[in-house]
Amino acid sequence: MSAGARLRAPVFRGSGSAFARRAKTTGTTAFLALAAVYVLVPIYWLVVASSKNQSQLFSTQTFLPPAHLSWASNFKGLFTFQNGDFRWWLLNSFIYSLLTATLAAVVSTLCGYGLAKYRFRGRRVIFVLVVGSLMVPATALVVPLFLLEHFMGLTDTYQGVILPLLVYPFGVYFMSIFSADAVPDGLLDSCRVDGAGELRTLWQISRPLLMPGIVTLFLLSFIGTWNNYFLPLVLLGTESRFPLTVGLSAWVSSISSVGAQPIYPEIILGSLVSVLPMLVLFPFLQRYVARGLSFGAMTGE
Amino acid sequence: MAVQAGGATASLPLRAMTPSGNTGSRRRRLRAAHGRSGLIMSSPFLALFAVFFAGPLIYSIVLSLRSPLTGAYTGLLNYRTVLSDSSYWNAVVRMGYFGLVQVTVMIGLAIVLALLLDSPYCRGKKVFALVYFLPYAVPGVIAAIMWGYLLQPDLDSALGVPHRLGLTSGPLQPLDYRLALYAIMLIVTWEWTGYNMTILLTSLTNVPHEVLEAAKVDGASELSIATRIKLPMVRRTVIFIVVLSIIGTLQLFNEPVILNEIASIGSTFTPNQIIYTTAFAFGNEELAAAQSVVLAGVTIVATVAFYGIVRRRMDPFAATRAVVK
Repeated sequence: MSAGARLRAPVFRGSGSAFARRAKTTGTTAFLALAAVYVLVPIYWLVVASSKNQSQLFSTQTFLPPAHLSWASNFKGLFTFQNGDFRWWLLNSFIYSLLTATLAAVVSTLCGYGLAKYRFRGRRVIFVLVVGSLMVPATALVVPLFLLEHFMGLTDTYQGVILPLLVYPFGVYFMSIFSADAVPDGLLDSCRVDGAGELRTLWQISRPLLMPGIVTLFLLSFIGTWNNYFLPLVLLGTESRFPLTVGLSAWVSSISSVGAQPIYPEIILGSLVSVLPMLVLFPFLQRYVARGLSFGAMTGE
Repeated sequence: MAVQAGGATASLPLRAMTPSGNTGSRRRRLRAAHGRSGLIMSSPFLALFAVFFAGPLIYSIVLSLRSPLTGAYTGLLNYRTVLSDSSYWNAVVRMGYFGLVQVTVMIGLAIVLALLLDSPYCRGKKVFALVYFLPYAVPGVIAAIMWGYLLQPDLDSALGVPHRLGLTSGPLQPLDYRLALYAIMLIVTWEWTGYNMTILLTSLTNVPHEVLEAAKVDGASELSIATRIKLPMVRRTVIFIVVLSIIGTLQLFNEPVILNEIASIGSTFTPNQIIYTTAFAFGNEELAAAQSVVLAGVTIVATVAFYGIVRRRMDPFAATRAVVK
């Protein structure tokens, strides 16, 4: 930075700068490792704590495994407490996430592709609606959504949770720009000359080109639905229809009520079980997810 | 842009087959004839959008103009109630303070981590990048449960260490109502730093190589390359993630709700908590609708104000405009 450093740099490329370089590498790695500890400590604690029973949780060292692992009895408690509701929550979270992600990917891809590849009346209006709705805070809609679904008899049903989540403006925005780049207009013209229908062209020619974008969209929607809390909390009343987030929070609040059962081991193990599938898959999915997230920022560059 | 993968190469042979020359008008005719297919493809989304997005949006405005008691039109009465509700504005101000402190710390940390991962002094870049990104896969509710228990002296014996050493009069109580705001900051920072870092890192990898090489040839140090070249080049990305964070802060709900169950920090901690309580505990949906509309307004004002502070006019939807055109 300083004039001195600039003058010295070419001269001391040898042993001196090698030492400085090593010091910088060590310092950088130490800082990065410290940040990694911040991220990993609660996850490590969750794994360790899930192996403890009620009395061990309150008597043993927080960050050390107990002398006797209680995983077996904790699992039994987790899957049998309250008639085994937890099994439903796990299944429900998969149902909500899988159906929402699949359908949202289809709906958003169709719309994004349609907007990018066809010129029709009202196209600009749809674009303005999609981009404008990106700026509406979703939680502002929860109360009226509940009332509207109540009129339609959709509250406390699976459809009631899934249908609103299919409106995924970011997905449409993402797919419109992805389609514009990934599918050349000339290719579609050639298909038309050959007499192929538009939907058949989309399915047979464009779909393979769009696949990386569709996978990204599916994953973002899946994770978003799996993690969602506010919407199912408001819309659902029957415990056997809860997803994991709503179910576990109900258990957490039940502990603080009078004369409640101390179900800390069940809650802690239940939390671990609800994050484990995603954490295990994440190394394989990271690339796709990161691309989708970066997308909003990239288009502004 | 990563999005371009594959498309261009696949089209080459086919494009070569179409006869070149006076095909422009024919193509245009072909496209116009099939234009309606686009509307048909968009229709499932449009139908869902109308029922589950536009519908509730319009209904929330209609609802907010109705009397909670009679259901009759009352003008701006509910809005007047919101404007004079001190607990609502306390929550909004609390989120303002939260945003100033937490968003600054989180974005600062995300920038430092992304620049370090992008520097030549980093070892194990892929592993670190993956670890930082992991909390994105953890639902906010689960993050709040983990941290909530970890910050409780009953469950976390480490919080009692200062007491046993005679430094404090009792075990540390990070979920005490005076400290709860900072506990939530700790949790939210844990959840979202890696997410923001990931977006920044992707953006940093797009900084042209020639620019960095030129700086190195000129003898610029890594530190000045990072702060004077890389950071200005990802300026728009930084602004983008700050805006996302401001919107996220004003919508905070999961973490305070769970912490309130664990340590009774209060049910009026954030605006969204108040809206939920108003609508579903008090059954006053009309007032809750007005509170929601005001919160949406505050969000828009905060976002616009932030754009005003960073001054330079920019177009966050330049790419859309290119497609619309």
